[in-house]
Amino acid sequence: MKDNYLQTLSSFPKNKLGKILGYDNNQLRMPNKIIEMGLLPETVFRILYQAPFSGPLYVEFGEEKSRIALRKEEGEFIIVEDWN
Amino acid sequence: MQQQNKKQILLVGNPNVGKSTLFNALCNKKQKTGNYAGVTVASHSGSYTYKNEEVEVIDLPGSYSIYPSSEDEAIFSKFLLESQKNFAGVVYILEALSLKRGLLLFQQIQDLGVPMILVVNQMDQAERRGINIDIEKFSEALNIKIIQTNAKEQLGIEAIQKAILNNDFAKTEKPSFEIPAEHKDFLDKVSAHKKFDNNYKAWMSLSIGADLNKLDSATELINDPESKSLVPKRLQVQEVVRRYQNIDKILSNVISKKPQFKELLTEKLDKVLVHPILGYIVFIGILLIIFNSVFFLAEYPMNWIDEFFAGLSAFSKEHLPEGPINSLISDGIVPGLGGIIIFAPQIGILLYFLYLLEDSGYMARVIFLMDRFLRPFGLNGKSIVPLVSGTACAIPAVISTRNIENFRERLLTILVTPFMTCSARLPVYSIIIGLIISDKTIFGIQYRALVLLGMYLLGFFVALLSAAILKGFIKNKGKTYLVMDLPTYKKPLFGYDLKMVLGKVWDFITGAGKIIFIVSIIIWCLSYFGPKQNPDQVVATDVHLDHSYLAKMGKAIEPAIAPLGYDWKMGVGILTSFVAREVFVGTMSTLYSLDDDAPEGKVIDKMRMDVKPNGEKVFSFATGISVLLFYAFAMQCVSTIAVVYRETKSWKWTGFQVVMMTGLAYFVSLIAYQILK
Repeated sequence: MKDNYLQTLSSFPKNKLGKILGYDNNQLRMPNKIIEMGLLPETVFRILYQAPFSGPLYVEFGEEKSRIALRKEEGEFIIVEDWN
Repeated sequence: MQQQNKKQILLVGNPNVGKSTLFNALCNKKQKTGNYAGVTVASHSGSYTYKNEEVEVIDLPGSYSIYPSSEDEAIFSKFLLESQKNFAGVVYILEALSLKRGLLLFQQIQDLGVPMILVVNQMDQAERRGINIDIEKFSEALNIKIIQTNAKEQLGIEAIQKAILNNDFAKTEKPSFEIPAEHKDFLDKVSAHKKFDNNYKAWMSLSIGADLNKLDSATELINDPESKSLVPKRLQVQEVVRRYQNIDKILSNVISKKPQFKELLTEKLDKVLVHPILGYIVFIGILLIIFNSVFFLAEYPMNWIDEFFAGLSAFSKEHLPEGPINSLISDGIVPGLGGIIIFAPQIGILLYFLYLLEDSGYMARVIFLMDRFLRPFGLNGKSIVPLVSGTACAIPAVISTRNIENFRERLLTILVTPFMTCSARLPVYSIIIGLIISDKTIFGIQYRALVLLGMYLLGFFVALLSAAILKGFIKNKGKTYLVMDLPTYKKPLFGYDLKMVLGKVWDFITGAGKIIFIVSIIIWCLSYFGPKQNPDQVVATDVHLDHSYLAKMGKAIEPAIAPLGYDWKMGVGILTSFVAREVFVGTMSTLYSLDDDAPEGKVIDKMRMDVKPNGEKVFSFATGISVLLFYAFAMQCVSTIAVVYRETKSWKWTGFQVVMMTGLAYFVSLIAYQILK
């Protein structure tokens, strides 16, 4: 039972593995830093924590289990799907 | 000649890869601590001698990419591009646990044709993680010799020094990033026109959207019909994605993982430290420990210093020949200096804690926790670092805003940070609170401590409030965002940080000491001499304080400050405070020591006893509160003003800040005094 609509990192459940599909970045408004830090397509990730009141997300990602903090607004640019 | 013998190398890498540790291990003995270690925002340098070769090591701020997205990264890229010819090479540091991210910048620099040595740090961490790195294959794939280190354990340091001695810096002939075919022709044109010695530089100039060497012909090329289609940002994305694909290929042959791995300390700690409730409790707890130490731990050394200067003053009074010089030294310079040096322990303790927090990787967690709460005020989570370090000194705090990418958030942070109670206000607060608040306690807590805490909170809330108001007046350029690495926790560099702190405290003592020395002499002169009292004098000497030039000047400004409840002496104190706030105490010490009516006794007692002509106390409760509020809000520090100008490059905002803060101070003090008197 898979939904067809595009899911973004911001709406992805906590503590579940997901995979980055690509970006919603037609207007080039996404900070390049997201890519520079290594949140690339095909990367497997997990949201570990979120600061209270819809604060930033704490995401663990990649083979090396890097950790990154980003706001929900930034997460909206990143299109993801469930991973196994 | 000397200059040429010295070999210069650059230390480069991502933030938080153990660069400072390595720098410290390399240049153990000689360091120029020109900058705050905790917030490594500008390059600092050190040197060492290995086998008779002197090497200067320049530690650049950490960066993720050659394309800057914030001021500190811009400093990094500029330095790397501009001073390329001056240094022997780059020592690039990779952290074994995040090879992938580190290789991006490594390959960018490599493609610029810079000679490099590659260091892989913290191999032990990777092993614990179950990650095996085949260094030989890795070295082959990158076409460079790799040195393994564990900077914390001092392992591999000599290998680096040896490699530098032997000039093992390697350049690659074959760039790792191939210029996309569709842009190749145009790029050749740019390259030929601008005489870039390397194609990647030409590419970089296009994808930065500006010229690299400020060539005036750049606009010409950017206006080329084809160049319009090259949106710089799109080129950057294209490059980074391609590089990462390439890096993935390399790493897949180099890294092998065991199925299970131990949980890292970082993972365990973060369960508590970024917890939605516990995380905040820990943060507040840490702040309480810091401030508690600042006030209670510092008390002992402060008492020693106090006694020492009191003794010194008494000694010089007794043993120097009587006369004006005796009075200048014993009543002017010594109490003035003592009044400042006494605060060195507090400043030192505060700074030391801040360094340790920054070093350990905890600050990034604080940013994560605070971002949501600071945003409504127009600030960024990253603003918490300047705000907290502003309690030590606004100068490094303003500099530490450089990693805030968004212009408005950075400017707002700079504008409000000086509201935070810096350590220079402490001497003023302590003396005034001592004068107007009784030394009684409630539940074992001193009233005075509570008032002091209140002053700190006041500074913080006014900083937030003014940010919220000002954000409406600053145009927002560009998007605001927070995308930040959460580094692994590291054991702080206790020894290194202590060295940095002692250096900073010494700077404070000598810096403030010089100013206070000069101000004391000027004040003493102005108070020793007065307008002539009979026609045959040029000036009157050894006059009563009330008839001195100083009194004359002070009384001239009295109409402006009288509504705030200040007499002319305080007026002089406030005026001299515009050099630096702490000078107030020095000035007051000098002024009250000079008081001829009661030459003996402690300054604070004289201040307490001082009465106006009508018999009222000079330092009444209303006046004291008014002084406290004035110092809480006024922009009274020349050095901070200079730093704000340097960082904003705008007289408009610098001037605005001075007028806004000082105006607010005047207004609030006026109201407080008029209500309370």
